[in-house]
Amino acid sequence: MASEAGEGSTAGMDDYETLISTTDVELLKKAWRNEKAAPEILRFETSLIQRIRGQIQLMEENIEEFAGSGIDPLTVSLYQMDLDRTQYLFRSYLRIRLQKIEKYMFHISKNPEVQSRLSEQEKGFARRCADDMERHLEESVLSKLPDNYQDIVKQSIISEESDMIPEPQLDSFVVCKSRRFLGPFQLDGSDELLEMKPDELCIIHYKSIRERVQEGDIDLV
Amino acid sequence: MYGRKACQLVKELASGEKGQLTPYNSDLFDQVIAECSQHHLELQSLIRKMQEEGLDVQTTRNADHYGALIHHLSLVRNKRCLMAYMYNRAEIIRSLIWKVGPVLPQQIQEKLSHTEEEYFKKHSGALQSYMSRLDLDLTVDMVPPKDPYIQVRVLDDIGVVLSDDKTTNFACHSMHFLKRTDAEQFISRGLMEELTG
Repeated sequence: MASEAGEGSTAGMDDYETLISTTDVELLKKAWRNEKAAPEILRFETSLIQRIRGQIQLMEENIEEFAGSGIDPLTVSLYQMDLDRTQYLFRSYLRIRLQKIEKYMFHISKNPEVQSRLSEQEKGFARRCADDMERHLEESVLSKLPDNYQDIVKQSIISEESDMIPEPQLDSFVVCKSRRFLGPFQLDGSDELLEMKPDELCIIHYKSIRERVQEGDIDLV
Repeated sequence: MYGRKACQLVKELASGEKGQLTPYNSDLFDQVIAECSQHHLELQSLIRKMQEEGLDVQTTRNADHYGALIHHLSLVRNKRCLMAYMYNRAEIIRSLIWKVGPVLPQQIQEKLSHTEEEYFKKHSGALQSYMSRLDLDLTVDMVPPKDPYIQVRVLDDIGVVLSDDKTTNFACHSMHFLKRTDAEQFISRGLMEELTG
């Protein structure tokens, strides 16, 4: 945030860059961008979000104190702007996640691996979400259909597996950028090998780089 | 023709403006449900006929088998259409919670079926409880902030409001320079508009 950036500018340009790219706000921006671009829900950034909440609170207190102690209103409003932006990023991050949960609630509720990526509160929300939707569809459609056709995730009783769950499309394309040089790796479903240089833009199937996004090697844009 | 009504139902959904609800078409919906029951009856009678003839239902491939299959497939297709209709409407209903808040205006409420109204209430309850567990209001800050202050015009008589130890009289048509966070709640309820340019 503002104060950290100020300290950074006295050091060399490289140090400044690395310092900037590791501040929590910058990390939040990265998490937000990834979450926005990825077709599926990513792992919840528990500790980052906790730190951000702490910082937001600290900034709010600071601004209140500044406003009370007669510091130049322009300075105060600059801090306020910085705070507003952080708040927006933070809220938007949580909102995007909620919208993904809403969209893929049945997929999530049937899939413990996906559930493990959610925060505690999100898990609760996902559960209620799926329950409410199930009840709604039950009452308005399913209960009026003949006996063998009442299952919510199967088209009829003879379907072997659940064939009516909306799932994220993992083979959709994403635009991405690598942080560092990534040696040749195999793309999903083809024999082609791909190398990625730092800061080079690539348009690629999401599922081919899925793990690398989770590990933080590749950023989505 | 089988499946035509269900298709109409889905078309209605697809031709509607994106993010806007069309009125709940309970007539057509009930007709499709009735068609489903009809399919089921005929399906069962065909199977019964095959059993009476002493044929093995699982393996026989005669006219009755394919007749039954058509009824089954039509039924499944109708079910998918009905579910898609409800599911997609529910998606729009959920997005309304973000756009207009937990209380629906009369004009929108008229377009919902009874169970949809229930669903709206339940889902906005789920959202509320998530936000209160986090102790955070997610319905503000919906657009990326440019300036902490914005200029607004009041569209309705709001009256005297207390904010930041000051009382302001928001009379109809008056213009104010407000903190964005304070103004947003009024804008989303349609009581103020932001002046741009």
